[in-house]
Amino acid sequence: MKLTYPHMGNLDIILKAFFEGMGKEVVVPPPITEKTLSIGVRNCPEFACLPLKITLGNFIEALDKGADTIIMLGGFGPCRFGYYGQVQREIVRDMGYNPKIVIVEPPHGDLKGFIKNVVSLFPGMTLKDVIKAGKVAWQKMVYLDKMEKALLVLRAHESRKGIVTQKYNEYRNYIDRTSDVREIKRLSLEGIREMKSLTKLVDTTLRIAVVGEIYLLVEPFASQDIFRELNEQGVEVKKTEYITDVVFSCIMPWRLSKIKRAANPYLNQVIGGHAIYTIGNTRICADDGYDGVIQIFPFTCTPEVVSKAILNKMSKDLDIPVMSLSFDENTGQAGYRTRIEAFVDLLMRRRGMDLVNV
Amino acid sequence: MDIKIGIPRALLYYNHYPAWKAFFNELGGQVILSQKTNKKIIDEGVMNTVDEACLPVKVFFGHILDLKKKNVDYIFVPRVVSLERNRFLCPKFLGLPDFVKASMEDIPPIIDMDIDLYRGYGRKMRNEIKRVGRIFTDDTRKIKRAEQAAKDALKTYTEFLKDGYIPKYAMRMAEGKRPIKKSTGGSLKIGLLGHDYNIMDEYISMNIIKKINDFGGTVVTSDMLSKSAIDYGASCYPKDMFWTYGREMLGAGRYMLDNDLVDGVVLVSAFGCGPDSIIKDMVEKEYKRKDTMPFLTLTIDEETGETGLITRLEAFMDLIQWREVV
Repeated sequence: MKLTYPHMGNLDIILKAFFEGMGKEVVVPPPITEKTLSIGVRNCPEFACLPLKITLGNFIEALDKGADTIIMLGGFGPCRFGYYGQVQREIVRDMGYNPKIVIVEPPHGDLKGFIKNVVSLFPGMTLKDVIKAGKVAWQKMVYLDKMEKALLVLRAHESRKGIVTQKYNEYRNYIDRTSDVREIKRLSLEGIREMKSLTKLVDTTLRIAVVGEIYLLVEPFASQDIFRELNEQGVEVKKTEYITDVVFSCIMPWRLSKIKRAANPYLNQVIGGHAIYTIGNTRICADDGYDGVIQIFPFTCTPEVVSKAILNKMSKDLDIPVMSLSFDENTGQAGYRTRIEAFVDLLMRRRGMDLVNV
Repeated sequence: MDIKIGIPRALLYYNHYPAWKAFFNELGGQVILSQKTNKKIIDEGVMNTVDEACLPVKVFFGHILDLKKKNVDYIFVPRVVSLERNRFLCPKFLGLPDFVKASMEDIPPIIDMDIDLYRGYGRKMRNEIKRVGRIFTDDTRKIKRAEQAAKDALKTYTEFLKDGYIPKYAMRMAEGKRPIKKSTGGSLKIGLLGHDYNIMDEYISMNIIKKINDFGGTVVTSDMLSKSAIDYGASCYPKDMFWTYGREMLGAGRYMLDNDLVDGVVLVSAFGCGPDSIIKDMVEKEYKRKDTMPFLTLTIDEETGETGLITRLEAFMDLIQWREVV
C-alpha cells in the first residue's frame, strides 16, 4: 500500500511523518505546478473552487508516481468541501484510475470515534505506535507553523532578496528528515535565529493581516504566494490561520468561542467554510492595530462571498482598509501585483510613511 | 394600525411564503410582497451586492430595495440554517441577514428569524418563534396560534405542490381560491431540475416552464416527486448530501433517470452557485454513464440572453420528439 494525500502548505511533511511512523510507504505528490492545476481544471466541474482542482491534480500526479491509496478529508457541510472526496472519487474513476480512496470524516465532537476510525486504517498497529507517530507529526506541525510565522515577519526585512526564504526552505528540509521530537524543536528555533541574522533593522514597518479561506491561507501556490509578494514589498504579514489552528479548533471546540465573540456583532452564526474566522480575526487584528487586512478566497466560495460583503462594512466601522482578492485558474499575476502594490501604497500614505516602491 | 411586513419575492419565497404569510397575518401584521422580478430589480440588486454573489442573491437584494420604496415597517429576512435533521442549506442562507445588513444601510429594520432544525423542531425553534412574535403581541396564546397556522399553511401548500401544481398556482389554491388547471403543454414529460428560486422566477428563468409547455412538454419538478422518490435517488450515492435542496436535486435527477419517469431532463443552475457546481456535475456524470436519457444543462446569470435559451431548448425538444418517432 502506497499512500498519498493532497498538498496544503506544511501538510506534506506532517502527514508524511505520521504515515511513515505508522509503517506505511508514502508517495508525496510532486510540488504543485501549473501542470498540476491544469489537470484539475480539465477534469473538475467548471465552477468548483480552486482547492478541488489543485488537490485533484495532486492525486493524479501521485498516482502516476505509483501511489495506490488516497487519503482525503471529508466534512458535514455546509461548505461544499465536505463532498469533495466523493466528487474526486468519481472523477478519478472516470479518468481510468482505480485507487483505494479513504475519506477521513472530521471528529465532529467525537474524538474517540475519530481516533478509532484512523487506527482502523492501519491494521496491526497498536495504540502506542499511533501515539508515537502522532507525537512526531504533532511536533512537526507546531514547529513548522512557528517557523513559518517567523518567516512572514522576518522576510520583510531581509538584507538581500530571497535569502531568508532560502534559509527557511533549508530548515524545512532538515525538519522533514528528522523524526526525533526534541530535534524538531531545536531545528525550528535554530532556523528562526538563522533567519533573523539575515535581516536588517528597520524602525517602522507596515503590518498586514491576511484572512480568508483556509486552503488559500495555508497553501502558497493557490494565492500565488501573496505572503512573499507582501514581504518583498517590506510588509510584515500575519497569517491568521495555520494548520495548527484548524487542528486545535477541531479537537477543542471551545477555542472557537473567542473568535465567535469577536465576530458576533457582524455574523453570529457559523456559516461554513472559514467565514466566522475571517470575520472574527479581522476584528481582532483591527483591534491589534494592524494597518490593513487582505481577504483571500477561491472564486465562487459562498461563505467567503458573504464575508466579503460583511468585511466591506467592517472596514468602514473599524476604520481599517480591507482588500478582497478571489483566485481562480485564470488569475493573472500582473493584475494581482498591481492591486497589492496599490494597497500597500495606500496603507503607507495613511501612516504618513515614505513610499518605498515607486 | 397594522404593522406592515415586507417579504421579498425571492429565494425561499417559493418554498415557504404561505407559512410566513399565515404566521404574520395571525399575529395581526399586514404582509406586503415586493413586485415580480424585473430588469430594474435585478439592476439594483447587482449594484448593491458584492460582484461574486450568485444571481439569486442579487435578485433578493433588488427585492429588498423594492420593499424599501413600499414603506414597510419591517422586512422579513429569515436565517434558514437547516430545515431537517443533519442537513443544512447553502451557506448564503445561513448568513443572509448579516449579508443584507452589511451591504445595505438605511433599509427598514429586519426581522431575522433563526430557523434551525438541525437537531429537530425543539425548544430552540419555539423560543425563536416567541421572540419574533413578541414584536407584535405579548399574548403567548396568539403566538402559538400563529405558529400552528404557519404549519398548517405549509402543509396545505406542500400537498398542492406534490399534486403537481407549480408554486404560483399552488399558492393561490392554498389560499382557497378556485382550482386552476395544471400547467400542461403536451404529452412529452420534461424533468426540470433546479432551485425553485431559479426556475420558478419567471424573469430570471425567462419563463422556462411556459416555454417548455409551448414546445409541447409538461414539466415535472422535484417538488412534485414524493419524499420516497427523492430518498431513493439520494441513497444511490455513498455519502448523504448535506444540503436539503441540493439533495432534492440530486435525488430527483437520479430517480428520473432510473425510473423512466420523464422523456428528458433540463437542469438549470445559476452562475457562481457553490452547491450546484457539485450537484450538477454529479447528476450529469450519471446521465452520461447511463446514456439513456436526453439531458440539457442551462446556466443563467444576469447577462443571459433569451434567444440563446430558446434555441437550445427548442433543439432539445426536437431531439426528444425525434427520439419518440424513431
